[in-house]
Amino acid sequence: MKRLAFALLVLAAAPSLAAAPASRAPAAAGGMDAPRSQPLSGGELDARTNEIGALLRCPVCQGLSVADSPSSMARNMKAEVREKLAAGYDREQILASFERSYGEFVRLDPPLRGVNWLVWLGPLAGLVAGGAVVAWALKRSSRKAGAAEAAGSASAPSDLPSRDTLPTDARLAAAVRRARELAYGWPDGIPPKPRSSVS
Amino acid sequence: MATAPIPGAAPARASRINPWVLAAGLAVVVPLLAVLVLNLGRDPHSIRSPLIGRPAPAFSLAPVGGGPPIGLESFRGRPVVINFWATWCVPCFEEHAALTAAARTFREVQFLGVVYEDEEARTRAFLAERGSSYPSLLDPEGRAAIAFGVFGVPETFFIDGAGRIVEKYVGPLDRGTIATLIARTKGGAP
Repeated sequence: MKRLAFALLVLAAAPSLAAAPASRAPAAAGGMDAPRSQPLSGGELDARTNEIGALLRCPVCQGLSVADSPSSMARNMKAEVREKLAAGYDREQILASFERSYGEFVRLDPPLRGVNWLVWLGPLAGLVAGGAVVAWALKRSSRKAGAAEAAGSASAPSDLPSRDTLPTDARLAAAVRRARELAYGWPDGIPPKPRSSVS
Repeated sequence: MATAPIPGAAPARASRINPWVLAAGLAVVVPLLAVLVLNLGRDPHSIRSPLIGRPAPAFSLAPVGGGPPIGLESFRGRPVVINFWATWCVPCFEEHAALTAAARTFREVQFLGVVYEDEEARTRAFLAERGSSYPSLLDPEGRAAIAFGVFGVPETFFIDGAGRIVEKYVGPLDRGTIATLIARTKGGAP
């Protein structure tokens, strides 16, 4: 139940979170805003260039990142990432600038917004729904079993022999009771009283 | 144990489907099928450019054969057709004649070529051999190609007089298509 409540909370929060990046996009449409980070250089610049290159899809390759592709297109894109980092742009600004040209396709790690929420929350929702169905089915079957047990002890509703019924033939009845004593350890083959509480 | 059928038991129930199970199954299968059917005719490699309807990225590039850099701003007020091409691209040969002819026909439209990942010497030789009626610009670092979200060549952008991208065409153009897209670009101009 707690999990379900959590999932509902997350789903309820989704639209507001999704709206945030969308409302920011048009403002930056013309070019790039002012750099939001510190200009980088040296080893840190190399490391961050590779890090951001790994998040960008090489447009002319099949499923390769800009950091991994040897194509000249990827080299050019990497050079542009490097230049923007050196100018002080942050990761999100750089990714957004490529996204303006190529669309969300260029991001190898799609951001959490809009329809993408489905990818992240779909499996979770499926798990919760599946768990609920299993819980419901288990509860129902145990309730059914309990009802059948109770009914069986009172008066047998079906034609099936229950553990309380004995054949009418006296000799056969004695044999059945003997068998029950041996098999289940019931004294004289008489079954114990069924438990009144149903789990 | 005797295996004789028990009177009044199971067989009738076996064929009946639990409506809840059916509903749950349909709830999963129907949307999946709908997505599949709706996307059957779609090429997964064709992605609509997010630039359509937006201002064209600014650039300033040197023309093949030398001369001062050419920027898009200088053509403000006129429709512009920007064709990304390369000498190693076979479909670009095919459309080169159509573009050259169209540039002569549609004098009010500015045609521009942008050379995509190619050497200047080869480009110059190609243009000398086949002729051209509009400037081709060099983009050695691929900046213009990246800014325009180019995936490959040929790709052609149709820009209205206000500098907005109206259309993007992927693949070789013929005269008819050029005329249609120019008409649409003029129609979209304010």
